[in-house]
Amino acid sequence: MKYISHLDLQRTCIRALRRASVPVALSQGFNPQPRLVFAAPLAVGIEGRNEYFDLFLTSFWDGTLLKQVLQEQLPAGLEIKATLPVDLHAGPLSALVEAALYVALFPVFPEEYAHILTDILEAEEFIVLRAGKNKGREVDIRPFIYNLETKKGSDTTRLFMLLATGSRGGARPEEVLAKFPGETKTVKVYRENIFIQNGEALITPGGEALQEYLERLRKS
Amino acid sequence: MFLSRIKRSIYLFLMEVVNIYMNTVDYQSLLDQVQKPARYLGKEINAVYKPPGDIDLHLALAFPDLYEVGMSHLGIKILYALSNNIPGVYAERVFAPAWDMEELLRTKRLPLFSLETGTSLCAFDLVGFTIQYELSYTAILNMLELGGIPLHSEERKKGDPFVMGGGPGVFNPEPLAPFFDFFVIGDGEEILPELLLEYRRWKKSGDAERRSFLRQIASIPGIYVPSFYEPVVREGKFAGLKPLLSGLPSVITKRTVDLEDSFYPEAFLVPYMNIIHDRAMLEIFRGCTQGCRFCQAGIIYRPVRNRSISRLRELGKNIIAGTGFEELSLASLSTSDYPGIEELVDALNEEFKDKDVQLSLPSLRADSFALRLADRVQKNRGGGVTFAPEAGTQRLRNVINKKITREEILGAAEEALFSGRNHIKLYFMIGLPTEKEEDLLGIAGLVREIAAVSGKAKKNKRSSFRITVSASTFVPKAHTPFQWEPQISLEEIKRRQNLLKREFRSNRKVNFTWHEAEMSFLEAVFARGDRKLAPALQKAYQMGSRLDAWSDEFSFSLWERAFRETGINPDDYAAFQPGYEDSLPWDHIDTGVSKDFLKKEHLRAIKGELTGDCRLEGCRGCGLKNCPGIQVTRDVPV
Ligand code: SF4
Repeated sequence: MKYISHLDLQRTCIRALRRASVPVALSQGFNPQPRLVFAAPLAVGIEGRNEYFDLFLTSFWDGTLLKQVLQEQLPAGLEIKATLPVDLHAGPLSALVEAALYVALFPVFPEEYAHILTDILEAEEFIVLRAGKNKGREVDIRPFIYNLETKKGSDTTRLFMLLATGSRGGARPEEVLAKFPGETKTVKVYRENIFIQNGEALITPGGEALQEYLERLRKS
Repeated sequence: MFLSRIKRSIYLFLMEVVNIYMNTVDYQSLLDQVQKPARYLGKEINAVYKPPGDIDLHLALAFPDLYEVGMSHLGIKILYALSNNIPGVYAERVFAPAWDMEELLRTKRLPLFSLETGTSLCAFDLVGFTIQYELSYTAILNMLELGGIPLHSEERKKGDPFVMGGGPGVFNPEPLAPFFDFFVIGDGEEILPELLLEYRRWKKSGDAERRSFLRQIASIPGIYVPSFYEPVVREGKFAGLKPLLSGLPSVITKRTVDLEDSFYPEAFLVPYMNIIHDRAMLEIFRGCTQGCRFCQAGIIYRPVRNRSISRLRELGKNIIAGTGFEELSLASLSTSDYPGIEELVDALNEEFKDKDVQLSLPSLRADSFALRLADRVQKNRGGGVTFAPEAGTQRLRNVINKKITREEILGAAEEALFSGRNHIKLYFMIGLPTEKEEDLLGIAGLVREIAAVSGKAKKNKRSSFRITVSASTFVPKAHTPFQWEPQISLEEIKRRQNLLKREFRSNRKVNFTWHEAEMSFLEAVFARGDRKLAPALQKAYQMGSRLDAWSDEFSFSLWERAFRETGINPDDYAAFQPGYEDSLPWDHIDTGVSKDFLKKEHLRAIKGELTGDCRLEGCRGCGLKNCPGIQVTRDVPV
């Protein structure tokens, strides 16, 4: 499923809901659209382990039932992990998203790579060139890199990248990976989870605090 | 930019035969390296997966264009579901690879593979191409070679698949003759099950001779095995095809399905990526009796066959339930002509009352009936309407038998704009037989009149509107009354296009678009081509010609070189003007409509005489046997 675009994924979910006869609410306006909004678009080629969308229904549905009927209509590779009723006034998740945790799997992680990591974290800035409307523009993504750390396993080294994401700007995992020489294009990357602001702390939309989440992940 | 660079590098190692060392391709690793990987992914809702042990016939349904085009085509979806409904048969899809995927396959020496199981094309029993359009011919050759299948039928050996072709393009199959083992002429629903049965019988018999299978099916009505026929030349002139074996039919008659009782898919494939027509299609009838004289579809799909309202309602309901599509398009050649179209629309509206399903009605006539019909289904009326007057003067519209008047066009335009639409799209053709300067100026005049109408509407209602004028170039097609007419020369196409460009330049409301002249020329060369064109086609392919229908990939100079090097003068084909008594390269393919009728229609065209719609005014004697319309025969004024 990582090969389909964000819009494709959205369309796929909407059509699954339609096949399941779930009464999805429509947006107001000239061209009403089903109200299903993903928290943060996922780039093509990156797998998502925990993705979220807000869904508005015209009548209350039991979460377990919704999960079951929707799952039956989804293609293999898309799994509904949980449904959660949300207060109508809670605001869209997409506006709350602060950061995303990406994991890159390196088959080998030489000493040289570790230095690159330190260099990134110690540098004042990290300039990348992004495609613009007419010409590329330079962006400093250093402020968007919250943390980088590795965890060595038996056959792979996991690189955890906590990157800012959302409407206030962010960094992309491939921008960080481009700093490493060699075949980083074929390094497998997935998005582990996304985080929203909760007072001073970052938590998953499900309510787990970032530090605990990371702790659990390091052990896994 | 990027793509064209790849294109050049491909020329260099093109002719190395792809090395096939396995039957299935691990294509996952390729998907990370291409644009729009969803093109090659498969696994869509309603895609079919069968356990290998259950399969005794493996069929590839190949479409010589990109996924987003092929998946918008109704025919392949019908055949996919139909074949997979037969126990033991497994049909998979294969589309043309885009440039980046082609380059990967060639550099990694991997074969072209199917979407469902990644099976290389050469490992199938049968490979069936849907042939829609002349400019897709090089894509067919590319897919064969990338798939590890020898290009020529005569080079294929035991174990190679049989390559078959079907679709509207096979009504003149001759330029493709050496590359195909056989062609299926007419409605696929009718022939395919019989053919598959025959194949399994042959396979089971243990007879491994390719030729004996071909000999067997050559007697099935509607199947044409080109290698069993040979062109006869008398006094330097083509004099028809001669069967090389006794007992072969000298004419291959198309097969027609009884539509009401025929198979129609309910489990439509639901693509992930945005394709050209991302919606469910409900084919309400097949065929058309309007009788436009340039139109090949109007001849080859005769007679008109309807599906009943009750069947359509049932199908529509099940299709939407099984796919979740938000739009259902009523497909046909001329939607307004469905008898009881209003009842049908009402019935479907009733069916989808609480379902948020948009009905769409393409191919409507340009009249107020059609507009009111469109209003019944359009939830927001802000969109546009499309009219196809085809010609700019009444005289020329009579020549082509397009039965619409200036008053009707203007009336419909006015109604469209006053009912809140803000965009009118107009289709015209240039280079039609007998076209003169005044006909071209007539296009500009008609558009100006419509612009004036919309000026009025603007004052009253809307603040903005647009008119798009699209001019294609007339291509004489086989089996039409205009098969005896030449196409105008390339220079003349450009001159006439420039004349229109000048006419519209100063009009800011009008957006004028035209088709690339060289493409229309090439289309004309192959539309009435013969077997002598096959080497030129192969040459152009070898020199790098690919998805020619995509204008950024199209290189005419390459085609010119290919023609030159194979000793072909393409003008001999595009400007071909045979006499009525001459044998034509496609005469052995029988559409059911008589050559005599086409000739009479041609003569009426030259005189500017209209021929009525046989559904409304009685049978015109087109020669079709078993046509349900014949019963209403009155006197036949042809
Ligand atoms: S046989 Fe007569 S009614 Fe039937 S399509 Fe031909 S002209 Fe029309």
